[in-house]
Amino acid sequence: MAAINQPTPASLQEYLWNHEKASRNQNPLLLPPEKILRILRYGAIVGSVIQCHSSMDRTMDQARQYITDLENSGGSVASGTAILADTLIRPKGRFTRTWHAPVGGLWGCLILADTFLSKARTLLPLTLGISCCEAVRGLGVDDASVRWVNDVMVDGRKLAGFLVESFHSPHYGEGFHLLGFGININNSCFPAALTNSAVSLSQILGRPVNLHNFTLSFLAKMAWNIGLLCYEEEQELHQAYFSEEQKNHLLLEQWKNLSDTLGRRVLYGYDIQQKPLYEAIVTGIRADGAIVMRLKDGNEIIEHGGELQYL
Amino acid sequence: MAEEIDFDAILKKYHSDPYDYVDICATQTGRVSFKITEGSNVNSPSGEWLHIPGSPLFEITRERNPKIVTAKTNGTISSVRTELEGQFVEAGEKLLTIRHPLKKKEVIENILKEVLYLFPAPERAKYFFSLDIQSRIEKKGARAITIKPGEEIFTMSLMKRDTPIYYTGEAGVIHSIYFTPGLSVDQGQPLIGICASDKLPLIQKVITRVKADWDKLIESAALEE
Repeated sequence: MAAINQPTPASLQEYLWNHEKASRNQNPLLLPPEKILRILRYGAIVGSVIQCHSSMDRTMDQARQYITDLENSGGSVASGTAILADTLIRPKGRFTRTWHAPVGGLWGCLILADTFLSKARTLLPLTLGISCCEAVRGLGVDDASVRWVNDVMVDGRKLAGFLVESFHSPHYGEGFHLLGFGININNSCFPAALTNSAVSLSQILGRPVNLHNFTLSFLAKMAWNIGLLCYEEEQELHQAYFSEEQKNHLLLEQWKNLSDTLGRRVLYGYDIQQKPLYEAIVTGIRADGAIVMRLKDGNEIIEHGGELQYL
Repeated sequence: MAEEIDFDAILKKYHSDPYDYVDICATQTGRVSFKITEGSNVNSPSGEWLHIPGSPLFEITRERNPKIVTAKTNGTISSVRTELEGQFVEAGEKLLTIRHPLKKKEVIENILKEVLYLFPAPERAKYFFSLDIQSRIEKKGARAITIKPGEEIFTMSLMKRDTPIYYTGEAGVIHSIYFTPGLSVDQGQPLIGICASDKLPLIQKVITRVKADWDKLIESAALEE
């Protein structure tokens, strides 16, 4: 059965170089046009191949199988390949959590070859939340925000969730990052357990959303933000040394613009649902993306992973 | 791993000098200002989440950006390179040494670390056993689990990026687990200690012997004093 949502690499490129470039020229980062062009060129690999499926078990599993099959036949995967599915049969969240992925949402996985240095690799998961939040705000949902690390929330309810898994191909041993995304767009029925905690874009807007256009917007913003990561890496490499305090990483600046996490009272845990650990107030985000929190006893604690729940 | 272990020599060594000497090096290039002197007592991090920093050791300033480096272990400052006070040092330059008094448990761990194969954390991150290894540990216990090179043993989690970690080392059983799932582990710190299954009795002998003899040695040392 043919997929309903069928963006093509050509339509994405058209969107990227016309709409996205124009919007970035009016961006709050105030970058000169030549830098914007450079960033877009870095990110233009995103969606170089787009696979569209009507359904599958999990896009992450599909990505691993795709990489393996291609290598076994003597080929290799194009970095930036996107795998999309109209619906997922056996979606899975983090840990043992289930994920509800019916028709109407945007479910997929982006394959990126691991060409990043350590710092950029650490910040990679931020690109997903930032891109989704930018795309959602682009539709007029101004109160969409990012909750550290990369959950996209609207009015306390989760609109989108992301997970990055690294993978080494069995044949060549090449490293890949699989950037999984699940965004509630036109799906409006959730399982009872999620009714109060999940929300879709169409529910917020009170009208259906053009899934094809949203997909292009999201992928184009992924191209920009991954390009930004590469561009910042280039800037750092061109300096004799990198002094984190002297320079603000543009991706982190954008994260701060979109996030409502800083200053919030939160419950922290690695698996917040099963094992919440402590309450704290978020006081900052470090250059490596780690979050800084102040505990009740006044001391600071820094976490490089885990989940937050706003209190 | 040595076939035979000279218990008497090992115990004598720890008995005569029951301390670890922890060298502290510059974490980055910069100008150094010491916060301690020789003989100062320093504390390790404390608090439920080890979030209260240890005693300040030195301040290092680069590009008008001062950073305080604190003690990760408790003990007494046994030496300080005072000639470096106010000087610009390279990253990795040794600055001071902490003499850390060993407990019986630490003596056992130190001896085991000499005889086990230690698998280090590739990055500062949170670590978890892979689902397969975790379920095998829950069913049979870690020391019944044999792992082989190439086997997926951990998931390394950093900023919601999960990376499978494959075991590289000699095949053997998981003897010691040095990490707590969900808590960050520094790069290079051991995650697990592995030994060949036929060496397990020998390892057990080490532990039993240290447990039995350590208190006697400490008692006799106290009597001598």
